[in-house]
Amino acid sequence: MVRNTHRHFKFDWITIILFLLLAGFGWINIISASHVGEEINYFDFSQPYGKQLIFIFLTFILIVLLLAIDAKFYERFSSVIYIISMVSLLGLFVFGKNVNGATSWYGIGGMTIQPSEFAKMATALAVAKYVSDLNTNIKNFKDQIQVFIIIIIPALLVLLQNDTGSTIVYGAFFFVLYREGLPKIYLNIGVSLIFISILSLKFGGLFTTIAAGILIFGYYFLNKRRSNILLIIAVFLLSAGASFGIKFFYNSVLQPHQKDRISLWLRLEKDPEKLERMKQTFAYNLNESEKAIGSGGFTGRGFMEGTRTTGKFVPEQHTDYIFSTVGEEWGFFGSTMVVILFVLLLLRILHLAELQKSQFSRVYGYSVAAIIFVHFFINIGMVMGLIPTIGIPLPLFSYGGSGLWAFTILIFIFIKLDSNRINEW
Amino acid sequence: MAVNEKNILNRLYFISGCMFVFGVAVLFKLFSIQFLQGEKYRALADTRVVKNVKIPANRGNVYSVKGNLLATSVPKYDVRIDLLTPTTSTFEEYLIPLSDSLAKYSGRSSGYYQKTLRKERANRNRYFLLARNVGYGDYIRLRNFPLLRLGAFKGGLIVEQTTKREHPMGAIAQRSIGYERFDEDGNVTRAGIDGAFGVKYLRGTDGQRRKQKIGKGQWKPLSDANEIEPKDGYDVYTTIDVNIQDIAHHALLKQLEEYEADHGCVVVMEAKTGEIRAISNLGRNENGKYYERLNYAVGEAHEPGSTFKVMALMAALEDKVVDTSTVINTGLGYKQFYGRGIYDTHGHGKISVARTLEVSSNIGLATIVDQGYAKQPQKFVNHLQDWGLDKPLGLPILGEGEPVIPKPGDKLWSRNALPSMAYGYNLKLTPLQTLTFYNAIANNGVMVKPRFIREVKELDQVVESFDEVEEGDKICSEKTLKEIQNILKHVVERGTGRSLYSPYFSMAGKTGTAQTEYWMKDWKENRRYISSFAGYFPADNPKYSCIVVIHKPSVKKGYYGADVTGPVFKRIAQKIHTDTPIIDEVQTLEVKRASVEKEFNSFYETAQTYKTIMPNVVGLPAMDAVALLENMQVSIKVKLQGSGVVKSQSIDKNIKLKDNQTIVLTAS
Repeated sequence: MVRNTHRHFKFDWITIILFLLLAGFGWINIISASHVGEEINYFDFSQPYGKQLIFIFLTFILIVLLLAIDAKFYERFSSVIYIISMVSLLGLFVFGKNVNGATSWYGIGGMTIQPSEFAKMATALAVAKYVSDLNTNIKNFKDQIQVFIIIIIPALLVLLQNDTGSTIVYGAFFFVLYREGLPKIYLNIGVSLIFISILSLKFGGLFTTIAAGILIFGYYFLNKRRSNILLIIAVFLLSAGASFGIKFFYNSVLQPHQKDRISLWLRLEKDPEKLERMKQTFAYNLNESEKAIGSGGFTGRGFMEGTRTTGKFVPEQHTDYIFSTVGEEWGFFGSTMVVILFVLLLLRILHLAELQKSQFSRVYGYSVAAIIFVHFFINIGMVMGLIPTIGIPLPLFSYGGSGLWAFTILIFIFIKLDSNRINEW
Repeated sequence: MAVNEKNILNRLYFISGCMFVFGVAVLFKLFSIQFLQGEKYRALADTRVVKNVKIPANRGNVYSVKGNLLATSVPKYDVRIDLLTPTTSTFEEYLIPLSDSLAKYSGRSSGYYQKTLRKERANRNRYFLLARNVGYGDYIRLRNFPLLRLGAFKGGLIVEQTTKREHPMGAIAQRSIGYERFDEDGNVTRAGIDGAFGVKYLRGTDGQRRKQKIGKGQWKPLSDANEIEPKDGYDVYTTIDVNIQDIAHHALLKQLEEYEADHGCVVVMEAKTGEIRAISNLGRNENGKYYERLNYAVGEAHEPGSTFKVMALMAALEDKVVDTSTVINTGLGYKQFYGRGIYDTHGHGKISVARTLEVSSNIGLATIVDQGYAKQPQKFVNHLQDWGLDKPLGLPILGEGEPVIPKPGDKLWSRNALPSMAYGYNLKLTPLQTLTFYNAIANNGVMVKPRFIREVKELDQVVESFDEVEEGDKICSEKTLKEIQNILKHVVERGTGRSLYSPYFSMAGKTGTAQTEYWMKDWKENRRYISSFAGYFPADNPKYSCIVVIHKPSVKKGYYGADVTGPVFKRIAQKIHTDTPIIDEVQTLEVKRASVEKEFNSFYETAQTYKTIMPNVVGLPAMDAVALLENMQVSIKVKLQGSGVVKSQSIDKNIKLKDNQTIVLTAS
């Protein structure tokens, strides 16, 4: 083995190095995005970059603690951790502090803690524990429902706290369950629904119904193995229902600001006056962020040289829009590096997960990768306008102690689980 | 298991594939933003940072007829601090001195400010309000506080200047001076003179300047000159006389309070020119206090009651349907006209036409008009139309009330219309309309349009001036005019207004007591009246006309025009009469400022005491100190460093001085 034979250092160093690179580069960008005035004191702890430095420093203590705890602890106490986490989410309804319209924080002294960040980790442990149970067969409908309940509880709680972004993250567990043998039908339904939604909003219910009809009946007649005609008709009717239902959902269930975001993304709004108004309100962030990234060019303007960044044009740039700083100051090259680092981290975790002998570790590993992926996907997609605006942080990059620690815990529990595999080798 | 393994592997590939595909999508989008559309975004990034900044024009002032300021714009400042700009060391260094200064300024404790500033800094407050709406003096003081003195980039000082419209006269005539307000959506509410002349004269044109954004909230002008220079608004010189306004306001206020009335108004007009010298509108709020609320005098058309009898009688005299000496039988105070009873307060029996107006007999006037015009009602109405009473005055002030004068064939017309109109019912006029008519009587029959502004000036240059506008021919023949003038004089001397009579100055006018809201069910239990008095003074050579209208006085205290509104009229007439000097005396008084005198005395005293001994000159103006020392009995040389007030002297006081000694004074 190439691995270090010394027992205490049998951790997967590739993952750790990727983690450190991302957090470190994140901090550099937070400096650019949050400093004010001309002089910079890196240890000015009243400024975000100074605070983030403390958070990063504390992270190391956290890592040592996480790696010191016995790997078995995580599996054994996963239910307890899950319950504590759910209680802390419930407590927000009573003691929560409202920031930017979401009641997602506890205020303790001068600090704020966001329990929803940690809930993802707790849910991952709980899902891993449940799925890896010998009595669980994910192909059983009953077990599917139960695991679904484990996931839906935190998802609903954060939704009720007006944190739509975090709710969507729980969709990540779909990948995990899919890997563990969730029937294909769920994937088919999910993908179809996304297509139907987009088509129906963009081209109307009738068009979508006709298109679905052509596809479904085309499949029926062209396929040599004739499927049940009744099933085909049922599928068609369901698609037709969804095509029209989605419009109703869009018009009656979604809140105006959510509608606006979707309509901008799909370019549904034709009224130039309203478009202009959108550009000045919620689309302003995206617009500014695109401008910042666009002005980066290939190599970028250099550290602390980005005029859009130092001029504080992009709102929330040190948190959700941190990637626009990378785009402006480090250009295409730097942004690509960040994307590559993330993709490497994800693939590395997936690779390690597949190597796990214990199903618990594997499911947990998948959860880690899936959660990071969804964050990465939504955040970067939002900053560049690939998907509608949904406010969630970029893992390890965005400013914020809760987020950083939550991802640290998420990743290092997995590294510990993985090292246990190595140790047992 | 083999199939399952393959299946799992496929799923793994699918998931990794998703992630990989998304990675590629991100890279493609990055490429698109930075290269394919890079030029566009870079151009956008550069253009959007330049914007045109509005430089608001200064709004013109509103002056009284004698040049007193009625409305003016003054700069006000909001002082804030960006608590994140100072570094931690700077913040800590200045926190206590700044808190001390703020404490002294606001009266709160220094500890409060230390705690709050620290807390807000922890909350990353970059826009913390220190003082709102402060004047220039306070602003300069705040700007020199510790930390704030360091300016925007080191101390975090944020100053926002706004302009506020102020009325130096306070509540007096506030409604008529008015305002022009803009809400966030750009809608405008206008009132009074300020509102009426806002667009045309006061507002001016805003200028424009191109500025480039160089940082958050920081904009730098692109060129030295403004792209469009702002053009300040013109000043409007009104016809309001502050003294008369003050008299009218307080006379009305006193009476409203005494009679616990709902609202009322007073207008004083110069007889010859139609210039409004005073206009006061007071209404009661829920707490029983009176404020300038609505412009009742201009905006409220109501049934005038007995003051209208003058118009009715003038028409009758003009058409010669009666003579002033024609005898009318008013009976015992009750008479039926077409099935409807008309009452007088008490029976007057057989009286002359002139007397019917003096005692304000409803039956008398109804009889005159009904007898004269029952067969040709249009003829009566024609007079009212000729006098312009059926149309608004056409004032520049918004919200003028619509008068109502019915004519045969109208909905409001009936057999009873004519007798009703004779004593001021079944028609509506605004107080200002009634006054305009009375003013014509005072002005020898020439009707002039009421005017609120006299001139519009740009600095000292007259931009536009407004001369009097005569409305058509004289309102009636000389004979009728003299007869009406006589009767109006008699009203005060021996008619319904006799309680107002004063041997020292003469007045003429007509009382009015109209029932209002009599169509409502509860009128019998809760009677409501409109008391009014319209007239002019002095009676023989009228200078001013005036109308007083008071709505819904407390019935327990009185409601007759002579009791409620008459005294207001009298008070105004009396005061204006005594305030109008007969000869303009110019007095030149030798006024010495007390402080100057005191300074000189102490200087003289010192000079006398210290002739050879060094005096204490610290604190004296430098030039005084030098003069003092050089005039001593010993000849010494004085060297002065700096200027201003002496800070220190090289030789202590009470030391005997020698010839040719040099004294160095340091001043700051």
